[in-house]
Amino acid sequence: MDSDLVPPGLTYLTDNIISRQNILGVTKEQSARWAHGLGLPARAETVFFAGCGYQFSGHLEALMSLVRGIDKSVIGAELPLRFARFQKKLGLNLPGIYSMVLSRIGENEVKPLEAAVKVLRNLGLRPGYLAEAEPCCGAPLFQAGLQADFAANARHAYDQLKSAGVKQVIGVVPYCTHAIARLFPLYVDGYDLEVKHFLELVAAAVPSLKLRFPRKVKVTYHDPCQLVRFLKLIEEPRRILQAIENITLVETEWTHGEWATCCGGGGGFEAVFPELSQMLAVNRTRELLETGAEIIVTHCPGCIMQLKDGLRQLKVEGIEVLDLAEIVAMAMES
Amino acid sequence: MKKTSGFKEYKKEIMGAAHDDRLRLALTRAIKSFRANVKSALEKFPHTVDMAEEVTAIKEKAIPNMEKLTRQAIAAIEENRGKGYLARTADEALGIIAGLTGKGRLIVKGKTMTGEEIGLREYLEEKGNEVYETDLGEFIIQKMGSRPMHITSPSIHVPREDVARLFNRVLGQEIAPDADIASMVGAAREFLRDKFFRADIGISGANVVAAETGTLFIIENEGNIRLSTGAPPVHIALVGMEKLVPSISDACKVAEVTWRYANYTIPSYVSLISGPSKTGDIEKVTTYGAHGPKEFHVIFLDGGRTRLARYPKLRQALYCLRCGGCLYECPVFAVTAGHFGDKYFTGIGAVWAAIVSRDMEKAASIAYTCLTCGRCRQRCPVKIDVPEMIIELRKMLAEGELT
Repeated sequence: MDSDLVPPGLTYLTDNIISRQNILGVTKEQSARWAHGLGLPARAETVFFAGCGYQFSGHLEALMSLVRGIDKSVIGAELPLRFARFQKKLGLNLPGIYSMVLSRIGENEVKPLEAAVKVLRNLGLRPGYLAEAEPCCGAPLFQAGLQADFAANARHAYDQLKSAGVKQVIGVVPYCTHAIARLFPLYVDGYDLEVKHFLELVAAAVPSLKLRFPRKVKVTYHDPCQLVRFLKLIEEPRRILQAIENITLVETEWTHGEWATCCGGGGGFEAVFPELSQMLAVNRTRELLETGAEIIVTHCPGCIMQLKDGLRQLKVEGIEVLDLAEIVAMAMES
Repeated sequence: MKKTSGFKEYKKEIMGAAHDDRLRLALTRAIKSFRANVKSALEKFPHTVDMAEEVTAIKEKAIPNMEKLTRQAIAAIEENRGKGYLARTADEALGIIAGLTGKGRLIVKGKTMTGEEIGLREYLEEKGNEVYETDLGEFIIQKMGSRPMHITSPSIHVPREDVARLFNRVLGQEIAPDADIASMVGAAREFLRDKFFRADIGISGANVVAAETGTLFIIENEGNIRLSTGAPPVHIALVGMEKLVPSISDACKVAEVTWRYANYTIPSYVSLISGPSKTGDIEKVTTYGAHGPKEFHVIFLDGGRTRLARYPKLRQALYCLRCGGCLYECPVFAVTAGHFGDKYFTGIGAVWAAIVSRDMEKAASIAYTCLTCGRCRQRCPVKIDVPEMIIELRKMLAEGELT
């Protein structure tokens, strides 16, 4: 099962999921910190599923920039990634060390999650959050081709959700939402969870909302692959953005909606081809900049990381990458 | 991943391509014009979208029936006084073709992906034949000593300035580095002109074949295939079994959808070839080899296709019409061209590498280069689900189900 043919970058992520229930292999205590002070109930029929991507975006960004640096050097990324895996087998927790070093950047890394919770509350929803008990969706296992591991993880995650009394899940990370909504049913007998993506709930509520962005801006929207081509959420983000006063949505000429270009961070690709992945991020960022937008809005932690890196590589200043949840939260406040 | 050598080498090749500014320039130009062309072709002939659905159904039925359709086509071709063959392997196909050509012959060749798949040109050259690629893109590739980087546009990765430099070197004609494209096309035409008429043998592929009449449909714009299959005394066609459909009307639909999604409203030429050239003009006595070839040979290649057809999730790779549309939508292809691939390119190439070429390391390298972003599926006229195939293939590779 642990085949020679799976690239080391992917086995690194998948090992973490199997051993620690998150892609970075950080400890349970380090996760769920973002929700401290939000007072989300630990037990509820409807839960907010935070996933890994947003929670650890700061860690992931730092790790990726490290790996990219190595990948561009003569060493190549394979060796260090395999080394990291090996060290863990010896009992050294390299990701743990990373996250200690990185904890200082942990301050502003979870804003989209907080924003999403605020938005849901404004819609009159009171979801719970399983916090440390939230299982990992295991999507990278599926992507890597480790279907047996994914299936076992899916059944385990499902049981955890069910034993916590969960009936409905509100997903936000595209990969997690897709996995729980579309992939779990393929492997779990008697699956009966109801899964909604955050954008579906917001889009449905749009007619009754008064949304006003604090300043007049031109924004463009980058469709994450999993949302647009797999979960088919094409109109929802646009309906939301167009309902916000002071926001003008400008689309790329060809590459929007179902034709959106991948940011280059798809399905673990960034771990196997760190440098190439960055080139694709730059290409996509360029396409989005051609719209003349001041804010690039998207709704995926992977895409945000990629597009921010794209802007950095292009040395573009004064353009922001923001999550749609943040945009909506800001438009609700003002 | 103990056997990292193959992957490392492949990654080096991919990254080399990604850092090649010339390649990127050529691809950026090509992608832009492809999108504009295909958009206007589909707007002008909007029925194509529904027809593509019909074609999907035709392929879904034809692929499990390849064996029967091949036998039917061979029978029809022989009834037309041609000769049909079924080659189970690439080696068998090469053997049959080399047996027909012999040594020391002048051969003109139209573009055939199936020929690339089995290394046909190189094999015939090794056997001591003089082989000319006559498709302009393929001709450029042959002269560069490179390999095709796109299905329909093999030299997609070469910008015009590089073509000028190449032609200046190999054609024995003065071509300025900033020469216009027309003069480069003219130079190739002049160089190849007499080859068509001096050739002993013409070789082609086919885009689709109607089994009931044994008719090959060959789509082209340059006219090189008309000349290659019409002027020499012998025509040999190499066709993958997956190109077979039951009837002429099915084949017409497949052909129209193919060229429309390949960004043409209508190609300049579609050749329908069912047998050798013949005349009955003198006393109604049928005589073969009038102005066209006296001999017509069609080799149908299995080469792992019937094996591929047995995998329920991977079978769809055989529906591919080779319109090449997906390649223009692949973000990785946009920076690497056909380096992301093997005999066939991008994600679908991984399936061919695994099942048809049985090269698992190559298959894994390509499979893990796919973003599984799914934009290719959006473009595909027969809706081939590349992400689904790639995930299935990764599973088969990771869990050791393939040998």
